[in-house]
Amino acid sequence: MTGRSPSPVGPASAGPTGGATITAPPRRPQPARPSPPRNRRGPGAERLAPFVLLAPAVLIIVVLRLWPLLLGVNFSFTGDGDRNGMWVGLANYLTLLDDPLFRTALRNVGLLVLLLPVAVAIPGLLATFIYLKVPGNRFYRAVYFFPAVLSPVIVGAIFNLLLAYDGPLNAALGAVGLGPVDWLGDPDVAIFAVVGVHIWATFGMALVVFLAGFSTLDPSLLDAAKVDGATLPQTIRHVIIPSLSRTIQFVFVTTMIGMLTSMFGLLFVMTGGGPEGSTYLPEYYIWVQQGQFNQPALASAASTALFLIMLVVGLAQIAVLRRAGKEE
Amino acid sequence: MKQRTLWSAALVVGLTLTAGCGSAAGPNSQSGDSGNKLVVWDWKSGDENAARYVEKAKADFAKKHSDIEVEFVAQPFDQYYTLLGAAIQAGKGPDVILFNGGGQIRDRVDALAPLDTYIAEDKQRLAGWDAFTKDGKAYAAPVTLQGHPLYYNKALYETAGLDQDSPAKTWDDFVKDCGVITEKTGAKCLALGNKEGIGIQFFLSAFGSATLTPQEYDDWIAGKRNWSSPDVKRIFELWKQANDAGLNTDGANSTAMFNDAFAAFQSTKAANVIGLMSDVGHWKDFTEFLGSDTVGVMDAPLVNPAATPSLPYDGGIGYGVAKWTKDPEVAADLVRSLTSTDALSAFYADGGAIASDTTIDLSSGGPAVQTIVSEVKTGKPALHVALPSKTVDLMGRLSQQLLSGSITVDEVVAQLAASDKTG
Repeated sequence: MTGRSPSPVGPASAGPTGGATITAPPRRPQPARPSPPRNRRGPGAERLAPFVLLAPAVLIIVVLRLWPLLLGVNFSFTGDGDRNGMWVGLANYLTLLDDPLFRTALRNVGLLVLLLPVAVAIPGLLATFIYLKVPGNRFYRAVYFFPAVLSPVIVGAIFNLLLAYDGPLNAALGAVGLGPVDWLGDPDVAIFAVVGVHIWATFGMALVVFLAGFSTLDPSLLDAAKVDGATLPQTIRHVIIPSLSRTIQFVFVTTMIGMLTSMFGLLFVMTGGGPEGSTYLPEYYIWVQQGQFNQPALASAASTALFLIMLVVGLAQIAVLRRAGKEE
Repeated sequence: MKQRTLWSAALVVGLTLTAGCGSAAGPNSQSGDSGNKLVVWDWKSGDENAARYVEKAKADFAKKHSDIEVEFVAQPFDQYYTLLGAAIQAGKGPDVILFNGGGQIRDRVDALAPLDTYIAEDKQRLAGWDAFTKDGKAYAAPVTLQGHPLYYNKALYETAGLDQDSPAKTWDDFVKDCGVITEKTGAKCLALGNKEGIGIQFFLSAFGSATLTPQEYDDWIAGKRNWSSPDVKRIFELWKQANDAGLNTDGANSTAMFNDAFAAFQSTKAANVIGLMSDVGHWKDFTEFLGSDTVGVMDAPLVNPAATPSLPYDGGIGYGVAKWTKDPEVAADLVRSLTSTDALSAFYADGGAIASDTTIDLSSGGPAVQTIVSEVKTGKPALHVALPSKTVDLMGRLSQQLLSGSITVDEVVAQLAASDKTG
């Protein structure tokens, strides 16, 4: 900044064309007033100002977000127990790959991705019915949203009772001549039971998002479809789904993130990762390694793996939303 | 999009490049506590039944160190070892720490001070030290004894026409009696909860002494475990056989031991349960529902004629001293107060736990307590407590596979043998 002359004040300095504008058509007379403070401090201060203004936010991000992230990743390359603090390279990651429990957790992540369309279709369909004003739609709207305000612990406890081997659901099945199902004790069934309860407990929020999307829908399109004699499935397929494409994409990515990061409470209460480790998800695995087996470095490695999974999902989210933006 | 991808990639590369440049927990971590205050972490002091115990322990300590304040911080048990793990990694935290005996403390002895020099006088008075000992050093003093008596419902036995004062002595008779009980009363034989994989731990320890020879038993406790022994295999065969024969309550893999399995026994849906003798799932809980005269305690029915059934028990919970505490001797004094006869008497009287102090008078505890106490002297450490935590966890999952029929007993013992070597 040294060696630079202060900016001249007044119209002479205005505009990129420099001297050509000096004799420009008369402007509004400039009142005599002191120079704005920024100009007194010079262009250096002006350039610094954004950085100063950004500094608190950047500091918070770096100190409270990136730095702990770095520490966690750093820690994942050290050992546990006797090897605490020692560099062990990729040993923790190799342990993870070798651990059938972690592999099950990753497989279950894949299963969640496969079940994602169901988790999106349910609130989408119900929101459609509410929008189309089925009888009692206001009541349904409140009822569907209600579980979203319940804690996963409460939801898990309620469904533990309902799904117990000698619980009411099996009693109902027995009454119609169907054998009891060990909903939370059969390794082939338990993960679906937990995911089903998670969808039940959280779809109210997606439903609200869908209803918000519906509020932007042009009613004349629906009227036109009606005039043309479209059936309900045709209306949904050719009018509603294309009009709500952005909303559907948004619900897809947020539901996926919710499934990957918010099922700990339900897992803890409903199955404890069992039976036979069949309901493990990465975050439950991380908790067990850190809390039960006192292996924080291994848990950090698993956390880093989960972070990478989330990064992929996050990038996919950006890609999906950008594409949706271009379509508009 | 490209730019964002680049930024994300740069972040990942940056994280990777800076990785491994140290550890989160430095070896020279310091205590964060002041000199005239001791902080105790546990999951008991918030319990109403432990209020008098804490009060008496505090009073005892105040007699020795009136200038030192003691603060109890009751943590939720579900999160206890997670929180403690974070404190240990930070090298800061409580001065005195409550532990479960066995793997939970043995896995964390690096963070604890050996207590042998401070508690020599208590060695004889208290029982259950083994569960808090590693490599010959004691890292905590026992507060309660934890064991696995086989409780039975005398009323159901009587209804079934069986001798309620003389239950089956052998496994075959036990299975036969189970059939009679179920037929006559509709109750199942064993209340089993294996949702968290705890059921197999109780089963292994309760029936182990009736299956292994005394030599095999002692070797197991000493760490010389022969997983290929037919007697060891027999225990897991019994586990499977009991379920296949319909002895267990239904849906064991989705039933929590605490408190659903115990509730099945209390509500007379099952005639037997492998319970505890500390302050949960024990004689006092059961007698509140069934009545003092209805709850019996029986020896494990003999599976192997060469075995000598005994009560499996260890130290239940105990207090240790963190190695980062400023004055370990003073902290050890607090541990001694927490295991004083006066304090432990209150813990037994209010909570019903069989305290580690062998000098406490338990004569008012009813017949079940009398049987348990009479067997403490001949009892031996529980088999599952001697296993590494990871092996116990694996055993829980394998036991669930055995119940669902997706694995064989041979595969189970082979996997446990491999884990026991590396665990």
